[in-house]
Amino acid sequence: MISLRSLGNIDRKIIFAALFLSVSIPLIFDFRLPNRITKEVRAVYDFIDRLPPESAVLVSFDHDTATLPEMSPMARALLRHLFNRRLRVIGLALRAEGSSIGNGLVHAVAAEYNLQEGMDYVFLGFRPEITSAILGMGENIARVFPKDFRGVPLDEIPLMQTVKNYRQIELIISIADDDTPNYWINYANARYHEAVVPAVTAVMATTYYPFLQEKQIIGMVPGLKAAAEYEQLIGRPGDASVGMSAQSIAHLLILLLILIGNLSYLSARRRR
Amino acid sequence: MDSGIWIAAGLTLAIYSFLYRDNPAYKFAEHLLVGISVGYLIVIAFKDTVVPKIIDPLFVHRQWLVLVPVIIGVLMFSRFVSKIAWLSRPALAIYIGFGAGAAIPANMQANILAQIRATVSPFAGIDSIGGAINAVLIAAGLICTLLYFYFSKKHEGVFGKFTRTGIYFLMIFFGATFGFTVMARISLLIGRAGFLLRDWLNIIK
Amino acid sequence: MRRQIPVILCFGFGAFMLAQFFVPSRLSIEAYEMVVDWTQTIYVFALLVGVAGMIKYHSEKISGKKAGYFYNLVTLIAVIVMAASGFIWGRGESSPFDWFFTYMQAPMQATVFSLLSFFVASAAYRGFRARNFEAVLLLLAAALVMIGRVPIGDYIWSGFPKIANWILDVPSMTARRGIFIGIGLGTIATALRVILGVERTYLGKG
Repeated sequence: MISLRSLGNIDRKIIFAALFLSVSIPLIFDFRLPNRITKEVRAVYDFIDRLPPESAVLVSFDHDTATLPEMSPMARALLRHLFNRRLRVIGLALRAEGSSIGNGLVHAVAAEYNLQEGMDYVFLGFRPEITSAILGMGENIARVFPKDFRGVPLDEIPLMQTVKNYRQIELIISIADDDTPNYWINYANARYHEAVVPAVTAVMATTYYPFLQEKQIIGMVPGLKAAAEYEQLIGRPGDASVGMSAQSIAHLLILLLILIGNLSYLSARRRR
Repeated sequence: MDSGIWIAAGLTLAIYSFLYRDNPAYKFAEHLLVGISVGYLIVIAFKDTVVPKIIDPLFVHRQWLVLVPVIIGVLMFSRFVSKIAWLSRPALAIYIGFGAGAAIPANMQANILAQIRATVSPFAGIDSIGGAINAVLIAAGLICTLLYFYFSKKHEGVFGKFTRTGIYFLMIFFGATFGFTVMARISLLIGRAGFLLRDWLNIIK
Repeated sequence: MRRQIPVILCFGFGAFMLAQFFVPSRLSIEAYEMVVDWTQTIYVFALLVGVAGMIKYHSEKISGKKAGYFYNLVTLIAVIVMAASGFIWGRGESSPFDWFFTYMQAPMQATVFSLLSFFVASAAYRGFRARNFEAVLLLLAAALVMIGRVPIGDYIWSGFPKIANWILDVPSMTARRGIFIGIGLGTIATALRVILGVERTYLGKG
């Protein structure tokens, strides 16, 4: 008979296997549950939806490949919304790996809408030293990025001939897996009063709630669930929506493990 | 099937083999990753920064003032020779001074004044009992949390009760953060599982 | 002089950045743009110093034939091959550089981080114990957020997402705000100490 105490000593390889199955089986059988839209994601969607066409939006790929499974769906959903609204996208990266990630993603999504590089969107590449990059663009983007990712001088790019600094940019989206959005808030928002949206990994979600009240950020897209919400709002379910069933079952498994662990602990404590 | 998918799958499984135990396949993949990542950084740093910020201004536009930060930056390599390592200090000093000067007004505005304003302003527009309770909870919780971080006075008596309340708020914050951390890590696992099942094994369409 | 000049430079650049914020004249903005430029250029060398240090470390292990030096050789060869492919064939979409990035770097990096999910599950099972009131609070908050922020939580009971949202909007946010204010005050104090030369640990020894 399985005792509560023995349930407190499950081999970790069994836990690993159970976790992998809890993620894989829902992916194979793909059942979907309704996904409630949170107010912070809705705020981002509504803000972008209200921007006039041709408005310039800066999208900064401030993450690396480690968090690609979480960041890529939200980046894709946001870019689809921006391009669908005919907004002009200026992509860049403040993390080295974000350069290749961002360049690939911006081009891939722009191709879905038959958009022209240089006119409808541009990818500027990577700049190190976050503070000086963000502060520098507040005065003169071409000074921080003399050329784009392809090596074309910025003064030869039609889009960048009308966008010189933050004054011509309506929104900054930081797709990040660390505290880079803090820098955008501290420098681009506090100094230049730019609207900022952190699209972050779930680990960083609780960091940005204090900024919502005072409108230092206009909304937030935290984690894969928020990415699934955004996919739902734009009417194009993707990887995030597919992953929600697996996310749900895995969470239930972990809660069950915590419950079993605590029951075993309380049982052992009572014996003593 | 694309050979790249097979290589990616093989390397993925090599890293997952660590879950069983540390082994040569995992070590190989780990060291390969470090090497590829550094090689990537060299190329990106050169093409995206050295060329447009140093080579082009110096050799194409003849902007000789660029030599000043270049010389200061090159001096950073003196760190490898202990006798002349002190030559790298000016570069560090400039960088740290710049960051410190920029951080003062930024932190004052974004992290202090705006946050205090956000705590106080809800009291001006309370339109429901729930809103009023939340506003009081936020203000009281903020004071208690800040008092907890004041270590110059012993946390006892009435003061201790306030700091204890601060701890409770902090525990809720850590719990919420842990919940989100679990969510984030599971999301990464979902991505890898999706790759193995869909792109490699074609079990999912 | 070896310590005085860096301290003076630190003061100069720090004081300038602080003063410029309050004096946005045309001249100060031009000087500000130049300083921002210079900082970017200097930082590139910091990156390259890091890379050089890493190559030096692995080279020493290989030349000294230290234990496990085969893996250091793997690292060094990977650096050379990746860098060479980027410089020779460029970084366009069908280039070898992009292939290495897409099929080796990205999958491996993502997999390493996904390992954490297994260890988080195991650690939660073994270590997450309701030993006292504070631990119960932490546990409850984690559980409610975990169940409230996935679709199945809403499916089981519509109250779960509402409770999770309230936790995030009120108590959790409040504590985070307190931490932010503390960090803000600490950053300002430390920054002032650094600019005024009171704090000199960045200079190292000698």
